[in-house]
Amino acid sequence: MSLKKFSELFGDLDSINSTNNKIEVLKNYFLSNDPIDNSWAIYLLTGKSNKRFISGRYLKNLFSQIYEYPQWLIDTCYLKVGDSAEVITLLLKNKTNSRKKKLSNISLNELLSETIPALSKLNEEEKNLEIKNLWEILPEDNHLIFNKILTGTFRVGVSIGLITKSISKLINIDEEIISHRLMGDFKPSIDSYEFLINKNINLQELNSKPFPFLLANTIEDKIFKNSINDFQFEWKYDGIRMQLVKRSGNVSLWTRGQELVNESFPELVEKMSHIKDDFVLDGELLVWNFKEQIAFDFSLLQKRINRKSPNKSIQIKYPIIFIAYDLLEINGRDIREIKLENRRIELEKYFSKWQNKTENDIFDIFKICDLIFPKDWPDALTYKEKSRENNTEGLIIKKKTSIYSSGRKKGIWWKYKVDPMQLDAVLIYAKGGSGRRAGLYTDYSFALWKDKELIKFASAYSGLTNIEIKELDKWIRKNTIEKFGPVRSLKPEMVFEISFEKIQISKRHKSGIAVRFPRITKWRKDKKINDADSLENAYELMNKIS
Amino acid sequence: MRTKQEYLIRYKDGNLYCELADIWIDPSKPVKKALITHAHFDHFTFGCEEYFSTIETAILLKERVGDNIKIKTFEYGEEFKINGINISFHPSGHILGSSQIRFIFAEEKWLISGDFKLQKDQTCKQYEIVKTDYLISECTFGLPIFKWDESNKIANDISKWITNSPEKTSLLFCYSLGKAQRLLNEISQTNFKGNIYSHGSIHKMNNIYRELGIDIKDTMKIENKKKIDELKGSLILLPPSLSKGSYLKNFKNIQTAFASGWMSIRALRKRSGYEKGFAISDHADWDGILEVVKKSEAKNVFFHHGDSEAISKYLVENESINVLLFGK
Repeated sequence: MSLKKFSELFGDLDSINSTNNKIEVLKNYFLSNDPIDNSWAIYLLTGKSNKRFISGRYLKNLFSQIYEYPQWLIDTCYLKVGDSAEVITLLLKNKTNSRKKKLSNISLNELLSETIPALSKLNEEEKNLEIKNLWEILPEDNHLIFNKILTGTFRVGVSIGLITKSISKLINIDEEIISHRLMGDFKPSIDSYEFLINKNINLQELNSKPFPFLLANTIEDKIFKNSINDFQFEWKYDGIRMQLVKRSGNVSLWTRGQELVNESFPELVEKMSHIKDDFVLDGELLVWNFKEQIAFDFSLLQKRINRKSPNKSIQIKYPIIFIAYDLLEINGRDIREIKLENRRIELEKYFSKWQNKTENDIFDIFKICDLIFPKDWPDALTYKEKSRENNTEGLIIKKKTSIYSSGRKKGIWWKYKVDPMQLDAVLIYAKGGSGRRAGLYTDYSFALWKDKELIKFASAYSGLTNIEIKELDKWIRKNTIEKFGPVRSLKPEMVFEISFEKIQISKRHKSGIAVRFPRITKWRKDKKINDADSLENAYELMNKIS
Repeated sequence: MRTKQEYLIRYKDGNLYCELADIWIDPSKPVKKALITHAHFDHFTFGCEEYFSTIETAILLKERVGDNIKIKTFEYGEEFKINGINISFHPSGHILGSSQIRFIFAEEKWLISGDFKLQKDQTCKQYEIVKTDYLISECTFGLPIFKWDESNKIANDISKWITNSPEKTSLLFCYSLGKAQRLLNEISQTNFKGNIYSHGSIHKMNNIYRELGIDIKDTMKIENKKKIDELKGSLILLPPSLSKGSYLKNFKNIQTAFASGWMSIRALRKRSGYEKGFAISDHADWDGILEVVKKSEAKNVFFHHGDSEAISKYLVENESINVLLFGK
């Protein structure tokens, strides 16, 4: 019923590993709290709120100012904790012993729909005073949640799936229905919660919503034992996975992150609405190189994602295309239960019907994906290796007899990605991590040889096991040459195999090259720094590919 | 200012050393004479010719090193002389027998804090304020994010944690000497009335504490073949070394927690692999360290064991205390 209860829920979820227990805890929470607060709880837990009322930096400055605390000391603490909201919570302990009456039972609804939004109407001085006041009147064990809501850093490791499961259990309705109801915009209100737990399934109200996405698994060797004819092969595009929903004439674009992105791609919405039929298509949104008929790099797509209502010149500069690879619903008929090979026939049938009956300019922006027909598995491998040439990431392999279920179900869709490119590089800098990795040196920079000098070429965070991270952290502390704030320069001694997806010329970097998605794939303890690769090797790699 | 060599106590080979008395404090390698602040494994080593400690520490030490070591014991506050230097042990509140060590030579006082805490702990003597000119202090938790709750609050949280999951066996990991006994003492004063078991290594320490007159609840030693049903709803204290590996397969339907000061930080809690963390420590928190520095009236302070940079800088800026670097 309150912030207090929600803080307890957070604490419970944070200290349980078992999924079943988490579901049980959530179910009990929903049972014992009122609809409006439940609605807010769902909103917060699913991370549907990324709204940040103030930044972490602002929070730290404010604390420093109010309690006359040296900024450097807060920053040092931050390095250990890795989360601004938590640092301030820990520092606030025993600080707010004012005689003010404690606000022990503020409801989540009041806090989130009144108290906090009201902050943004105040000028800076008033706002600071009000935050201080709230720190003083809120009980100490509610500070963490309050600070996290303020800074919009609410992540608890509760997935939408978990919420879905607990509500499904609560009202005894299939998870698919709940997950459907939870998709897209979720405005916290009594109505939205009651809609969620409504025991009557009403298809009308689900009208604009997409279906839960079917996700691909990483390929496993056992697939090669099957006949190649059991599968459909497509290129794996590196764009935004999207369902294009058109019902009752209205078009909705949904990303896999369940965001409605109509505003970012108005030209697609407009043109697709010219098609007479209603449908739900599953596919990929890309920025398209029309001259060569291949996708542009993902970085160009990024220029479109976060821009709402892009003007004509942006639309022309970064032309988009939607490539459909599946048809899930046609004129109100849900066809997810029919086999993929038959859905493909439907998709092709409707596509050619639309091509004949609709204005041609739609097909600048919408097409269906081409299929690939490898003769056997070695042939599939050859296709996969060629995928760099057309700017795809590899192949998607789909079982022809499969239905469109939801989630990452095994044995239905597989992704078969191109082997990453690799170089052996020398560790030269390390920086403290944040979040779970706070207090450890986990952000690394790597260098390649240029004559007798080591030149930085990539930074990577992921790829080591926890044990390796700890071991390396120890080594880093003992082998620091110099400290610059949180960064340490290190004795060049350790060699790592760095894998990445793409390598290209970059004027912004001293090395002259930029790599995409660099990650550590092996700690080459067997190698000395003289065995590491040179920039020349990197250039060779680049030339080999282009 | 004196050079490092001229200090009465300095760092030598990574250990605290008093050259005039040719005596080492908590040395990590075998030496002739070793003063031992307390009996945790990282504060003594095997093979020294002669040990000096409090009586309680000596008993615990013998349990760990063996009966045949040569050890001189002293009461708290009892002064003894080595090469004209007066040395005495004073309670540090860390675990049973733990002590600070004071040196007086030519009217100059030096105090080595040992591991210490100011918080209440019924299983050992309360920290004693000792005045000094030079203070060598630990600063394991030398950041202001560390502020301990009262230990009875933590004990109540533990009690709730167990009773909220009556179907489960609650495994609480903690250091077998000191922390385990403090927890047992505190938990026996809460509403939790279920069974408590201890691992053999903890059980052994419990018995020594009890022989030395400390009030520790009588717990059962956990046997590997215990029936799972019998353990439902009970608490089992285990040393952290057993948290990884196959030992846990002896139990079914468990929940795990770790009792340590580090557990106050969420990132460390998550990384530790335990489901739950209870932030209870036998070291001083930030305010505790500052209080000791202040009340000791030391004009010169050295820090070791921990991130000493932040607290050093803070004291220099805010308390105009001279913070010296040892140069290890």
